[in-house]
Amino acid sequence: MKRILLAEDEEILRMLINDTLEDEDYQVDEAADGQEALGFLEQQQYELLIIDYMMPIYSGVEVIAKVRQSGKNMNVPILMLSAKSQLTEQEKAMAAGADYFMAKPFSPLDLLGKVREILHDKNTI
Amino acid sequence: MTKIQFNRKSLVRRYKYLMGIFIAAFLLLAGVLMYSFYELNEEYTSKNMELEKKELLVEELNQAFNDAFMNIRGYIAYGNPELKNTALQQETVIRELSTQLGEMADSDQDDEFRYQVDLFTEYYFVTTLPRSLADYESGNIEAVKETANGGATNRINSIKKKINDYRDEINKQIEENFQELTKIQTYVQVGFVLFVLVFLIILLRITRLMFSEIAKPLADFAFAADEIASGKDAVIEVDTAREDELGVLSVAFNRMIASLQDNEQNLLAQNEELQAQQDELQAQQIDLQEALETVKASEQKLNSRNELINKIANSLDKQEVLESAVMNMCSIIEAERGIISFIHNDSYASFGLSPEGVRQFRSNLANSGVIEKLQAQPNPFLTKRAAVQEEKGFHLTNMVSYDLFLPIFLTGEKLVAVMAFNRSDAPFDSRKMTEYEALAKNIGIALEKISLYEKSEEARRLNQDILDTIQEGVQLVNTKGEILQVNKNFCELFHCPDMLKQLAGCAWDEWIGLLNSSIVESEGFTEFMRKEITSHEKISSNDCHYIYKNINGQVFKVYCEGLFQGSTKLGTIFVHRNITKEFEVDRIKSEFVSTVSHELRTPLASILGFTELILTRELKPDRQKKYLSTIYNEAGRLTHLINNFLDIQRMESGQQGYELQKMELLPIINKVIDLQKVHADKHELIVEVLGGRDTVLGDEEKLEQALINVVHNAIKYSPEGGEVKLTVFEKEGNIHIEIQDEGLGIPPEAIDKVFEKFYRVDNSDRRSIGGTGLGLPIVKEIIQFHGGEIIVKSEYGKGSTFSISLPAYDTQNKFV
Repeated sequence: MKRILLAEDEEILRMLINDTLEDEDYQVDEAADGQEALGFLEQQQYELLIIDYMMPIYSGVEVIAKVRQSGKNMNVPILMLSAKSQLTEQEKAMAAGADYFMAKPFSPLDLLGKVREILHDKNTI
Repeated sequence: MTKIQFNRKSLVRRYKYLMGIFIAAFLLLAGVLMYSFYELNEEYTSKNMELEKKELLVEELNQAFNDAFMNIRGYIAYGNPELKNTALQQETVIRELSTQLGEMADSDQDDEFRYQVDLFTEYYFVTTLPRSLADYESGNIEAVKETANGGATNRINSIKKKINDYRDEINKQIEENFQELTKIQTYVQVGFVLFVLVFLIILLRITRLMFSEIAKPLADFAFAADEIASGKDAVIEVDTAREDELGVLSVAFNRMIASLQDNEQNLLAQNEELQAQQDELQAQQIDLQEALETVKASEQKLNSRNELINKIANSLDKQEVLESAVMNMCSIIEAERGIISFIHNDSYASFGLSPEGVRQFRSNLANSGVIEKLQAQPNPFLTKRAAVQEEKGFHLTNMVSYDLFLPIFLTGEKLVAVMAFNRSDAPFDSRKMTEYEALAKNIGIALEKISLYEKSEEARRLNQDILDTIQEGVQLVNTKGEILQVNKNFCELFHCPDMLKQLAGCAWDEWIGLLNSSIVESEGFTEFMRKEITSHEKISSNDCHYIYKNINGQVFKVYCEGLFQGSTKLGTIFVHRNITKEFEVDRIKSEFVSTVSHELRTPLASILGFTELILTRELKPDRQKKYLSTIYNEAGRLTHLINNFLDIQRMESGQQGYELQKMELLPIINKVIDLQKVHADKHELIVEVLGGRDTVLGDEEKLEQALINVVHNAIKYSPEGGEVKLTVFEKEGNIHIEIQDEGLGIPPEAIDKVFEKFYRVDNSDRRSIGGTGLGLPIVKEIIQFHGGEIIVKSEYGKGSTFSISLPAYDTQNKFV
């Protein structure tokens, strides 16, 4: 079972993503803010990070920058979710070290397909 | 007396030489004498000591013989062997003394005496004594007596006598020696006295020589000089053959006397000549004095004329020119009093006139006919009249007073002012009327120049006032980069209001430095200004602008427009416009769009996402229900957001409708608390009612919306939970609702802005809490519509208190 960290301050969206992924046998750890996400990242090795752009304490960009600097997850693929879909935000996320970008609102099935593609899982819905 | 001939050319050397010889001879001779005296003394002492030593030896010899004789006699008389031994021991002593005497002998007498002693010693100790002693010891006393009587006693007496004689001789030699010394000392003393006398005589001779050669001629010089000083004739008689200093001095002195006498003669002659010249000069001086008085008077007039010309040429102060004109004209034309007065306005200046006189002149001017006369014939004119009482002063006789009227014309021969002067002692010089007229024309030219300057200054001030009224900072710069003109607002923008005048003419380096000091990131600004100033292309202000920020955070947009005369560029006008508000509005709008986008996209993501899951997956009923419930709540959240946007839009356009009715607040407050409890699992919501009325005239739905917003904020901005307390009380006719939380609080710099539309407190360093920035502006709008007020107090990090006050309902409640 592949382990994914989901960092998202909106509880409902966490529920949506978590339900979508867990139904497909992914193990999802949920963090409600940037600090909590960094706590998970220090302790656990993940195969994918799904991180929201705007979060309390540390923003998604800040979390990505910290992850890419050092630690056990520094080379893990990162998918950034953002309600800010402007080009500048996308560029900032990529510059910080994100590998993929998905704008809100998004289709949970598209997200699932993206996760599978990133993790090279053959099954598709 | 023979004169000393050596060193004839120098008295000093001569007398130095003489004194040297004298002192050397004195010292030499004194030395010889002292040495001789010393040698004599030494010789005497040595000889005396020798004699005394001989005398002592003779005395000891005598004693030794006596001891020998007496001890032998004692031995023979008493038989004491010790006496015999003692007597025999004297032989050795005597022989020793005899030897010493022999060593000291220096005369035949000494040798003879020693011979006798040695002879007796042999006889006594060698020949006679041993035999007598043997006789005695053998008891042959007779033989002893025979020996004694047989000549021994005589020889003993004889030797004693010789010893005494020899001693007397020595004493005699000592005495003679002393006598000789005394005699020689006397000779030496006499010689010394003679020596001193000789030297005194020589000294006297030298002194006399000095007196005759130096002192006397000097006294003659002094006497002669004194005589000459007192104006008498004097001759110095000094040996003309003398070549020494006094000789030279005497010659020089005689020449000086001769020269003085010549000079005196010349001076007397010159004095006579000078006396004659002085008489002539005195005569000329009197003439010059008179001429000087005339020149001084002319100079005074010239000074006055110069001052007048200088003042009217250089001054742009009208009153100053008028006063200078009247004062200096009085001096030039020798008037006692005068006035210059404009005929169409109140300007005037006077000299020597009372205020009453000035007033009278000005009021009579129009009716006196002077103006008409000067306009008809534009030349100065004179009048003569009997002096009035005020002009007479202390004079009792009849007097005549003279008036001079001069016109002042501007260009176009327009009479603008009249000058009038008066004197009472003599008439004005009619020959100088042309000159007076010329001065009046100069004054007219100066007044015209001032008039033109005043008009120009007025126009300039008008232009400056127009520029100053413009809200933007305006700056006109020539093609060299020098400032030609700025307006007041420009100076205020760059904090240089006192430099408004100084800035004109300010060079590029100077003013760009001043501006850059108050601009953030000034490099771009400098480059823009430089480019536009040096550019010679005609560019529209729409294409020529630059936006910069100053150090106070204000944002400016500077436009430029080239100032051309034909195709020649004269300069560039820069207009600095404060666009801080527009910039801020744009920034807020941009942020609002971003915020709205974010706030709308989040619930939309949930709605779309869960809907998609329901549609595409087979879900259990409870999960379906949970998803649908979530979709419902998110749709409600979306609706609330949209309502907020619509509310603010309606409020801004004045289309928000209120349905006012008498209503109680407490039920609404309780309802709000019940609704918010759903979102406040970490919070304790408390309502405290302190008493008083709770009835207001209001729109129930809107007031509920306002309260929900405030309470929801209290919960939202207390992410760690805590107490949210609502206190309700009535005070001074108002119902107060205080909503207090223990949350994040509001930073001091944000307190004044929380009620501004779209403003969101930047709390990203603590909690990134979303929002549209519309909640509190809507609350404020609703409360203010109800005639109430909402204020906030907050301690950053410890919580906030929002205080709403609404007028309590009574029949007097009136608001729209």
